[in-house]
Amino acid sequence: MQGASISRWTMSYFAAALVFLLAGQALLAVGFGYPVKPVEAPETLVIVHLLAVGWLGLLFCGALLQFVPVLVSKPLHAPHLALHALVLLIGGLLLLCCGFIHLAGYVEGGLVLLPIGGLLLATGFTLIAVMIGGTVLQARPVALSARFVGLGLISLLATAGLGLAFALELSGLTDTGWLHALIPGGLSLHAYFGLIGWMSASAFGVSYRLMTMFLLSPEAERTTSRTALALLAAGIAAAAAILLSLALGRETSVAVHLPLGLAAAAALLFGYDVLTIYRTRKRKSLELNTIMSAGAVAALMLSVLLYLTLVLTGRLQDDIGTLVYLVGFGWLSLLGLGQLYKIVAFMTWLEYYGPVLGRRPVPRVQDLVNERRASGWFYLYAAMVAVAVAFLLAGIAFPVQVAALGQAIAAAGLMVELARTRHLCYVSTEPADSKVRRHPPLFLPNPVERS
Amino acid sequence: MDDEPTELVQRIRDALADVIDPELGRDVVGLGLIYAIEADEEDTVRITMTTTTAGCPAVGFLVDAVRFAATEVQGVRSVEVRLTYEPRWRPEMMTA
Repeated sequence: MQGASISRWTMSYFAAALVFLLAGQALLAVGFGYPVKPVEAPETLVIVHLLAVGWLGLLFCGALLQFVPVLVSKPLHAPHLALHALVLLIGGLLLLCCGFIHLAGYVEGGLVLLPIGGLLLATGFTLIAVMIGGTVLQARPVALSARFVGLGLISLLATAGLGLAFALELSGLTDTGWLHALIPGGLSLHAYFGLIGWMSASAFGVSYRLMTMFLLSPEAERTTSRTALALLAAGIAAAAAILLSLALGRETSVAVHLPLGLAAAAALLFGYDVLTIYRTRKRKSLELNTIMSAGAVAALMLSVLLYLTLVLTGRLQDDIGTLVYLVGFGWLSLLGLGQLYKIVAFMTWLEYYGPVLGRRPVPRVQDLVNERRASGWFYLYAAMVAVAVAFLLAGIAFPVQVAALGQAIAAAGLMVELARTRHLCYVSTEPADSKVRRHPPLFLPNPVERS
Repeated sequence: MDDEPTELVQRIRDALADVIDPELGRDVVGLGLIYAIEADEEDTVRITMTTTTAGCPAVGFLVDAVRFAATEVQGVRSVEVRLTYEPRWRPEMMTA
């Protein structure tokens, strides 16, 4: 195989993800849910799912469709399912959020939307698992970075399945004892499978490969990386065991710390590996995406520190929202935005300049972006996350809303920068297809033709 | 790598210096991606090359670009480009 092909719908996944990010942050800013309302309020569930499924979920799915073939040097399995999955995920998320709004009592009835939305989401994520999992399994032996992604896919299916079970229970369509028993303790496991098992495990795997690639660091399967994978796998297995105990009606309050502790240890090892990758890099000057990735990993380390502090002070239950905010916005979102900034430029270059490489002068990937303009938005975003976390810890809601507004403005600024990259605003070189200059497709597929 | 490149091989090497790796912004020769250039008596050229990352979507474009640039060199009759990852490219292979 001479390289992976361009994933046709990845840019559409990214565009939808960014719209959901803006929507989620705007709702946070106006005080629709947390921190004005409790963590478990239906309004908060709307925001959480817009951000976790709409923003991070679609971002990760779109990125994995492009990157997993690179990780394993095999073509994407069943690529025709990408559009089906995207439609199912967007449709399912919107129905689920409508169901939460009904649950909050803004509109009577409509709770049936919860399981319908949950079913569409579970189906969409299953299609993603078929595509990504099928690709990973084509390559034997499976590389370490791809094994992290495989672990992420198992957790993704667990997250979606558990979410569907909760949606059924909340809708009142079923009256099953074991489902009822799952709800109180199961919600935190649902979040664990999603944020740590699915997204963080996948982010670890992809980061090991991408950071090594972009920084020109020595490729190595380190013992620390293998241990991090084993710890994450043990954490997910522990979470699954706790889930089973809950369904059987057994007491598990002490054991819930085990999956979190294992994940925290894995995160520390990952942080150590990232530090090694940065220290041994041959590429001395850092680009904006690698600076933001380093910031995201720093936020992950702070998350571990915050987790340990909350456990030691007995405040984990009260401040769990703060911890999730730091993990979601500081670690996953900052990493996602940083890599998005690079991926969009790289894919745009491939689409428009790849076909004429060697035939006439072409710009570098880096010429398609303006880091000076984008860096301001990135730093505003990171600063606002720090402000929000500080005021969440202090228990003052209004400054958190202002910070969320700042995050939304920064995200909008980055969206403009990404659109300018897609529109080739920063380069004067004519692309392979001169029609592109007049009608550049922003997020829909553009057929690539080799000349 | 060739110890004493013929004039044709040297001209091909010069031509390939115009092909850049889009991510690193450096030419494929300076990056050490061209492992060998061989030309037989009939001016049929065989180029052995690699890329910084196996499986990258730019690989096909880089191979096409190297083939095209070599074909354009005066005196070259045909070009065969062989992509290999043995040995894997390492940053140390870049020339200063």
